[in-house]
Amino acid sequence: MTLEGGVQYSKIAEIKGPLVVVDDVDNAAFDELVEIETSQGEKRLGKVLEVGNGKAIVQVFEGTTGLSIAGTKAKFLGKVMEMPVSKAVLGRVFDGLGRPKDGLPDPIADKFVDINGEPMNPEQREYPKDFIQTGISVIDGLMTLVRGQKLPIFSGSGMSHNLLAAQIARQASVVGKQDDFAVVFAAIGVQYSEAEYFRRSLEESGALKRSVLFLNTADDPAIERIITPRVALTVAEYLAFDLGMHVLVIMTDMTNYCEALREISAAREEVPGRKGYPGYLYTDLSTIYERAGKLRGRKGSVTQVPILSMPSDDITHPIPDLTGYITEGQIVIGRDLFRQGIYPPINILMSLSRLMKDGIGEGSTRADHSEVANQVYDAYSRAQEVRALAGIVGKSGLTEIDLKYMDVGDVFEKEFLTQAIDENRTIEETLGILWKIVSKLPKNEITKIKDKYIDQYYKEE
Amino acid sequence: MAAQGRIVWVSGPAVRADGMSEAKMYETVTVGNAKLIGEVIRLTGDVAFIQVYESTSGLKPGEPVIGTGNPLSVLLGPGIIGQLYDGIQRPLRELSKASGSFIGRGITTTPVDMTKKYHFVPTVSVGDEVTGGDILGTVKETDLIDHSIMIPPDHPSRKISNIVSEGDYNLETEIATTEKDGQTTSLKMYHRWPVRKPRPIKSRYDPIVPLITGQRVIDTFFPIAKGGTASIPGAFGTGKTVTLHQIAKWADAQVVVYIGCGERGNEMTEVLVEFPLLKDPRSGKPLMDRTVLVANTSNMPVAAREASIYTGVTIAEYYRDMGMDVVLVADSTSRWAEALREMSGRLEEMPAEEGYPSYLASRLAEFYERAGRVRTIGSPDRDGSVTLIGAVSPSGGDFTEPVTTHTMRFIKTFWALDAKLAYSRHYPSINWMNSYSGYLADIAKWWEANVRKDWLSVRSEAYGILQREDTLKEIVRLLGPEALPDEEKLILEVARMIKIGFLQQNSFDDVDTFCSPEKQFKLMKLLVDFYNRGQQAIKEGATISDIRAMPIIGSVLKARMDVKDNEIPKLDQIDNDMQEQFKKIVGVKVTN
Amino acid sequence: MASNSSLEQAIDKILKKTEKEILLDLKNSGSDSKQTLDDSLPKLEQEYDKIISDGNKEADKIEKQIIGSSDLDVRNKKLLLLEEGVDKVFSKALDQIANTDRSGDYSNLIKTLLDEATKILGTTEVTVFTNTKDKDVVKSILSKYSGAKLSSETIDCLGGVIIKSKDGTMTFDNTIDARIERFKPLIRKEIASTFGVGN
Repeated sequence: MTLEGGVQYSKIAEIKGPLVVVDDVDNAAFDELVEIETSQGEKRLGKVLEVGNGKAIVQVFEGTTGLSIAGTKAKFLGKVMEMPVSKAVLGRVFDGLGRPKDGLPDPIADKFVDINGEPMNPEQREYPKDFIQTGISVIDGLMTLVRGQKLPIFSGSGMSHNLLAAQIARQASVVGKQDDFAVVFAAIGVQYSEAEYFRRSLEESGALKRSVLFLNTADDPAIERIITPRVALTVAEYLAFDLGMHVLVIMTDMTNYCEALREISAAREEVPGRKGYPGYLYTDLSTIYERAGKLRGRKGSVTQVPILSMPSDDITHPIPDLTGYITEGQIVIGRDLFRQGIYPPINILMSLSRLMKDGIGEGSTRADHSEVANQVYDAYSRAQEVRALAGIVGKSGLTEIDLKYMDVGDVFEKEFLTQAIDENRTIEETLGILWKIVSKLPKNEITKIKDKYIDQYYKEE
Repeated sequence: MAAQGRIVWVSGPAVRADGMSEAKMYETVTVGNAKLIGEVIRLTGDVAFIQVYESTSGLKPGEPVIGTGNPLSVLLGPGIIGQLYDGIQRPLRELSKASGSFIGRGITTTPVDMTKKYHFVPTVSVGDEVTGGDILGTVKETDLIDHSIMIPPDHPSRKISNIVSEGDYNLETEIATTEKDGQTTSLKMYHRWPVRKPRPIKSRYDPIVPLITGQRVIDTFFPIAKGGTASIPGAFGTGKTVTLHQIAKWADAQVVVYIGCGERGNEMTEVLVEFPLLKDPRSGKPLMDRTVLVANTSNMPVAAREASIYTGVTIAEYYRDMGMDVVLVADSTSRWAEALREMSGRLEEMPAEEGYPSYLASRLAEFYERAGRVRTIGSPDRDGSVTLIGAVSPSGGDFTEPVTTHTMRFIKTFWALDAKLAYSRHYPSINWMNSYSGYLADIAKWWEANVRKDWLSVRSEAYGILQREDTLKEIVRLLGPEALPDEEKLILEVARMIKIGFLQQNSFDDVDTFCSPEKQFKLMKLLVDFYNRGQQAIKEGATISDIRAMPIIGSVLKARMDVKDNEIPKLDQIDNDMQEQFKKIVGVKVTN
Repeated sequence: MASNSSLEQAIDKILKKTEKEILLDLKNSGSDSKQTLDDSLPKLEQEYDKIISDGNKEADKIEKQIIGSSDLDVRNKKLLLLEEGVDKVFSKALDQIANTDRSGDYSNLIKTLLDEATKILGTTEVTVFTNTKDKDVVKSILSKYSGAKLSSETIDCLGGVIIKSKDGTMTFDNTIDARIERFKPLIRKEIASTFGVGN
């Protein structure tokens, strides 16, 4: 967008929440970037949410604290918010609005890109199917991640989602390929220590020079969080589609993003949807999550692992709910498993990777992968039912076969699920343990695997 | 005189313009210097409220708005099949030529290739009296589609004054003229039709023919009829999209219109990659040759999402008018309802439940009313159908939310997806206790005439076992399974077998993905026979452990994957083996 | 001493038995301890390996970290040096602009700046601010703008004008400083590429 801009208006009609209403504006565009100047000369950024009939409603990213009706000025900059991108952003740390936070100068831009991006043409997408080996058995075996996928981690307060995401970032690789990869990390309203944990983890694995960090921590302005994932994804898209890199984007915590959105919606007095979140939350989230993908005729990919904490561990809360409708599956962290001290505490029954079917099988993992995974899902689900039953009727009320399923549940959690934080298992090791679990069952119970694979891999103890 | 106004206000996809007293409701307009496409949705004084189908980023008050004089319409003619359109029928393949991998703005293209030549065979002659809906001739659109070139429905009765001879013509060629009282009308191979106006029909029939989808739980337990309506609600992760893809792949329709309405981009890509490689099980031709895709993914402009449903259903009606059975799949009507809600919010209308506009119910009713099995207008006589299947994405999986509850009032088949089933990897996760079909009695006749006389009674027996299991589960939950007598343990056992061997269906398995009506019946019969023989065996002294140990169980459960549609006799063999094995366990007891 | 001898025999027997047991015990414990030793050897080896591999892992980690961060350090130093260069170029350019001759072409420049600014504000009914150096040039051409008047206040800038609508609600900064600020990212890119750095 090229607009004439630069006029500064000083008639402020109203300041409410994160919004400033500017009067007598006759030359502003929807979505235009605005520079707000306080009476003390401090400058803040914002953008136009609504314009017309001589008024412009401006959302101020850094908040309106300290602004006054008299003395506040708004300069309309004649462009939308842009992020300067170049290869030199790698190894850099930015704030939540994409400004340097590491004491280094602004990156010399290869180009300036609208942070809102444009929707990918579905016809130009390439269907994601390259298996990413994370070295984490439960993910590789049962909820496989592929390049270009968006696979969020649904967690709750205080659980080990950060350890998991960092382990994925350290270990993720595509077997047999030495491609250029990069990590883009966006901290959205998380504690400084969490952001620092990621930074250190990337540093220790030597990946920092291939990473870009955007940090909006808990004490940074809340409304800035609307921008943080967008600047991060703008950089990710540039690295992927202009430079051909495979980019893993980790965004944490999307719940804070949604809360910032709710705050703006409330200030605009919009009709709220569920739990006070705006009715367009789904559409808004999709403009973030749908920026994952691969494009035909281009080398790179953008893979997203957003993290969100479910308020009260409730998966039907609008944030995880709407996210789950957009993303291609979800990895759900289970409170029970976490309390038992299991790492990674992933509740496999609630977790799912929609793109798994295309990323596995002959040629990428192994021909029997899908069937053995289905059988283990089935068996673990039975094991959970039996456990619940045993809690009521006691073990004596269980049939012989029920007891076998109890055993399956234990082996699954102790040997397959449990894994050290620096343990990197190959897909062969992972499949081996899956077969060990299946082999605990009598052959008559194996209904989801073809006989030829049973003959090949089943080993009765 | 087209309206020419100026923008006075912009907020997201909503724009107000003044100087628009000439504008008509639902007229298409171009908005701003970038010439974005919009539609008038309210008029107050000389101010028009416009929903804009493209991103309004950078739009300024003062920029021009120009009316086109036409309501939002689709172009109907050969070349539609195999296309991927956005919500307002812009071909996404052509858009990518103009703006690359990402969707740019203000691009105009034609929905089909106007220069492509089709071989036209006329079926009317000069002097024939014709009227709206009459067929002028046919062209071969794809290997699967014989496309009838019809006179537009609103064309009055007139005489053919000229018609081209058989030959190759493109869409812009005048192929016929009609004349009355010196007035001549030129006809081409295409016409336009406003999307919000249902195409007229002669009369409606009761839907009595099942739409075979090859999905056992649907065809056998909760069938839908051709021309019927169905809704498939489910929380995320319950396999809604996979089920819809399965229907789009295997339904016995001539044309499938698949609308990705506010859903994932990769899902449309998947259809684009997969369908050309899949063969229609009946004709052996690529599925893409009968499919039209309308994609307005979640991150594409929200107003065009609202339009996508109408674009899709109008295309479906057009092929119906040629006398075809058309299936329209809309994934997801909830996102369409949300688009309505968003525009309504910007119009500052009084909200009803959960912020949805009060006209949500009537809009849903109007949409589902466009389904039906009909006698079309025009000659020769043709019967066609539009079957509407709408996904619903209830927030939090709660079926009491407005979109689900309103939808339930207007549809006759309800496939309730169940998160618990999905968590245990029971796919398709259609819950057999909460789902229903209002077509069962009507279509039973078809099954009895075409598959087996006792279809309905066997189906009832099978369903009865599932119902009894549901009651028994309560007892098991309290006392454990060992508290039940063997007769009831058998119910649990067979219910489990019905779930694994019949209700579950692996859409990624080459054999299991589609199940013919014949195979569906035989599989169900095997299970019902197993149950009856089992009860008999228990009466004769066998125990539940004897029955559980029967090796035939494995064969019954895997038959859905092991036995191909052309190997049905193998199921008879399984039946024979089963009888033998039952004889054996009863025999053992007797000799003891 | 029969009783004695029998006693002795008994003692002997007991002793022998004990001896046997002791011997057996000894033997057993010998083999046991050998077993334990045998058992623990691989464990020890594993332990040893683990210590070594942990050490290696740690070393590996540190190595990666050091290489990674020293690569970065070098790069970052380059960035700082480049920025220093850019700054030098900038301040030199600004100096030159500040000391430009205010005659001839310069009035054309001021005219352009004024034209642009009034067009953007949509009125010529404005108050114009400028610095002391440009005051005369501005004054000489301001008559062409009806309703425009020069403020008696001067501003601190390199050159150019700031104009303000009469009611004071709209301001447009068209000083040379502001224009340079607007184009700074592009100028920086150009300077960087002349240093052969690009990106």
